[in-house]
Amino acid sequence: MPPSSMTLRVSLFAGMAEAAGRRTIEVPWHGGTVKDVRQAIVAMLPGLEPLLARSAVALGDRYASADEPVPAGADVAIIPPVSGG
Amino acid sequence: MAGCASPIAVCREVVTITDDPIDPTALLAAVAAVAAGGNVLFVGTARSMTDGVATTCLAYDAHEPLARSVLAGLLAAARDRFSLIACGVAHRLGVIEAGEASVAVAASAPHRQAAFEATEWLMEQIKRDVPIWKCEYRPDGSHAWVHGDAVPRSDHVVRAERDNLSAVTSHE
Repeated sequence: MPPSSMTLRVSLFAGMAEAAGRRTIEVPWHGGTVKDVRQAIVAMLPGLEPLLARSAVALGDRYASADEPVPAGADVAIIPPVSGG
Repeated sequence: MAGCASPIAVCREVVTITDDPIDPTALLAAVAAVAAGGNVLFVGTARSMTDGVATTCLAYDAHEPLARSVLAGLLAAARDRFSLIACGVAHRLGVIEAGEASVAVAASAPHRQAAFEATEWLMEQIKRDVPIWKCEYRPDGSHAWVHGDAVPRSDHVVRAERDNLSAVTSHE
């Protein structure tokens, strides 16, 4: 079943996925910006807040700024501090 | 690979993200050019100890589409900034045993200094902004994802810094 227009699917990675116990979460969504996505995640999973505060947010294949609008159905991902190399 | 049909295509910025072992020689060959006087290859390997704690293996996770996009942007920036002929990055994902290569960066330039500097600069940017994460596994079976404190930077922030830097340079 496709995600309802009232939820937003958010991808999680690495320690963030481990803290949430899953790689994707669906947060209630009535439209808003990247900043609102952060608030919706914390409201649902308060335990993610410390790592989320140090994370960037991506829309599709690029990093997004805090005031960018996020339409329902957007490809949203939380990007915690990286450790590649 | 960003916009490339193969590592030896006309595109001279090569991005490879793979679950298979990295082939550093192939990456070096991909940046080779007759106009190059310096070809630098850096290979990062999984070490057996970190801060006195043994690591049995590493596991890498990534947001692949974003990683490819950010890497393609970094390679293009490196080519401009250091006047490279070509450059490339290969990063491995999944489980990596100690001693195996996790990342390789190669750059070619008319003179060696630019190739050395570009390779180091690219590694710094990769470790700062590319959405790839490592998990360290220890002999007691425990594991820990490695997350520093630096928030990965958005493209526009990186671009603004770069423009600011080139503006400063042009005033000198």
